[in-house]
Amino acid sequence: MQSWLEKQRYIVDFTMSSLLRRKVKNIGLLVLYTLIVFILASIIFFTYAIKREAAFILQGSPEIIVQNLIAGRHDLLPVSFLDQIKSIRGVANVESRLWGYFYDSLVGANYTLLTPPSQAGSLKSDGKKTFVGSGGSDIPTPTEEKNLYEYEGAPLEPGTLIIGNGVARMRSIGKGDYMPFMAADGEIMNLKIVNTLASESELVSSDLILMHESDFRKLFGISSTYVTDAIVTVSNPSEIETVANKIKKHIHTARPIIRDEILRTYSSIFNWRGGMMIVVFSAAVLAFVIFAWDKASGLSAEERQEIGILKAVGWETSDVIRMKFWEGAVVSLTSFFSGVILAYIHVFFTGSIVFEPALKGWSNLYPNFKLTPFVNAEQLTTLFFLTVIPYTVATIVPIWRAATIDPDTAMRHTGN
Amino acid sequence: MIELMNVRKVFNAGKANEFSALNNVSLHIPGNRITVLKGPSGSGKTTLLSIVGCMSRPTAGRVKLIDREITSLPERFLTDIRRSTFGFIFQQPNLIKGISVLENVMLPAYPLGDQRKDLCSRANQGLEQLNIVKSGSKVEWLSGGEAQRVSIVRALINNPSIIIADEPTAHLDTKLSYRFMEIVEKFKSEGKTVIITSHDPLVYDSSIIDKVITMRDGKIEDTPA
Repeated sequence: MQSWLEKQRYIVDFTMSSLLRRKVKNIGLLVLYTLIVFILASIIFFTYAIKREAAFILQGSPEIIVQNLIAGRHDLLPVSFLDQIKSIRGVANVESRLWGYFYDSLVGANYTLLTPPSQAGSLKSDGKKTFVGSGGSDIPTPTEEKNLYEYEGAPLEPGTLIIGNGVARMRSIGKGDYMPFMAADGEIMNLKIVNTLASESELVSSDLILMHESDFRKLFGISSTYVTDAIVTVSNPSEIETVANKIKKHIHTARPIIRDEILRTYSSIFNWRGGMMIVVFSAAVLAFVIFAWDKASGLSAEERQEIGILKAVGWETSDVIRMKFWEGAVVSLTSFFSGVILAYIHVFFTGSIVFEPALKGWSNLYPNFKLTPFVNAEQLTTLFFLTVIPYTVATIVPIWRAATIDPDTAMRHTGN
Repeated sequence: MIELMNVRKVFNAGKANEFSALNNVSLHIPGNRITVLKGPSGSGKTTLLSIVGCMSRPTAGRVKLIDREITSLPERFLTDIRRSTFGFIFQQPNLIKGISVLENVMLPAYPLGDQRKDLCSRANQGLEQLNIVKSGSKVEWLSGGEAQRVSIVRALINNPSIIIADEPTAHLDTKLSYRFMEIVEKFKSEGKTVIITSHDPLVYDSSIIDKVITMRDGKIEDTPA
């Protein structure tokens, strides 16, 4: 046992000295390999964590949103529809919403303008709010409900605004400042910022501006008989789809959107973005694979001679293969763990500075928030099997071929 | 000690460039003696040596080592025999570059798992005997003669009973060649069997040689006593 251990120690020592002998080549490979793992792991970490974050935040989104469609396009919803929806069995509460987009030519950004529901008028009943999980999706179900946006202080007064953090950053403005808007009738409206939204919800509230109903109607020229859409709460959470179908039957131009559909949309958006990133970087990955394969599968004359010498002086084929296996494993495992750790720091501590423009947000108001660290073991294992295993195998195969021939033949092929 | 019976070795068998390096060679190499295989380049000396030293297998024929048939032994057993019985001195020193002299010398003993302390002391002792003081230096910094002596120490690290030397003086000057023959004489005095291939008269005409076997075109020409 003692001599077996000593033998393994000698092999490991020789492996390390072998790696150091080809320092430049191995360091170059290590850096490139680490970079590839870093890119792939960053995309995996980011996509998964942001989907989870979005799912968590969107749990606070309405169970059903009812829009009015005219000629297949979203149109304003007549206030009279609210009573019709309320009369449907199973509906606990109906609230109207006023929201829209505003293009700020000064910074070239689109803001989302929204009137807090309590101000847009509502038809309440004593039905209780329901919580719907994202069952069936690969995103874990959050344990508590979370609001889409949060702020502290009194309700909005006419002439005041609450802005998202992205807007504040983009315009370099904050509480107490004024923000000018040109209304539909050409009049300039100067609205005072009274607060900013909580940073916890920044993923979805970065470009959000909350304003009073009267300001909103004036800004867009919308009469009081119309709202943008309605949000519906149902009494029984398992009846959401049934209620949505009933709404569709009652009001033929209505388009009910349930919360699960929104979650699925977000999920597919980030999946698509992650996929696009992988496609973009696939050229780099491919280049690395070719390089690594070439490096790993080809043996230089020097390496072949070394194998011949080791066998001639009494090393067994298995010792030579084990030594080369450790060489490949040291390179690939070091690269894998370095790449994964760097990706973790990049995604969860630096806010993914490298991929921010491609993966975060949907306008040029990029949300500035820290993702909750969450690693999907399954995806990490897949990454391991796609990087470490092929490289190690690619290292062993040519060694195995060279090591199983006679030492005499291996040495004769060196040109010496 | 070593017996070869009708040994043939064919390279690239069945291909257009098929080449027969050894043709029905039969010979006996006595133990505790110095035997020289001489002949021109391409006569099959090195091929014969590599078969004797279990570094390659014959295409046909049988090889016996100390009355034990080794022709059809699996690779693992041949490695064991190679490690415990033979010490190899190659035409080129065949040292591994980038590692120290000491590590090169210890390489054949690594698979045995000897204690590092004992192994180091054995290796250092061998290096001292052959006047190599730079045990910590990289082998690429050694002169040709020093490198050759390091390869001799490496060949002896496992205390083999048979020393095989392939054209050992090919890259040495006359002075170093004589020094090498002194070392060979010492092997003989220690009771080791030495087999040398050479076409250097300084080797095969030396008085310490017990047997000279001449080879040509893959065959034995004569075997003077």
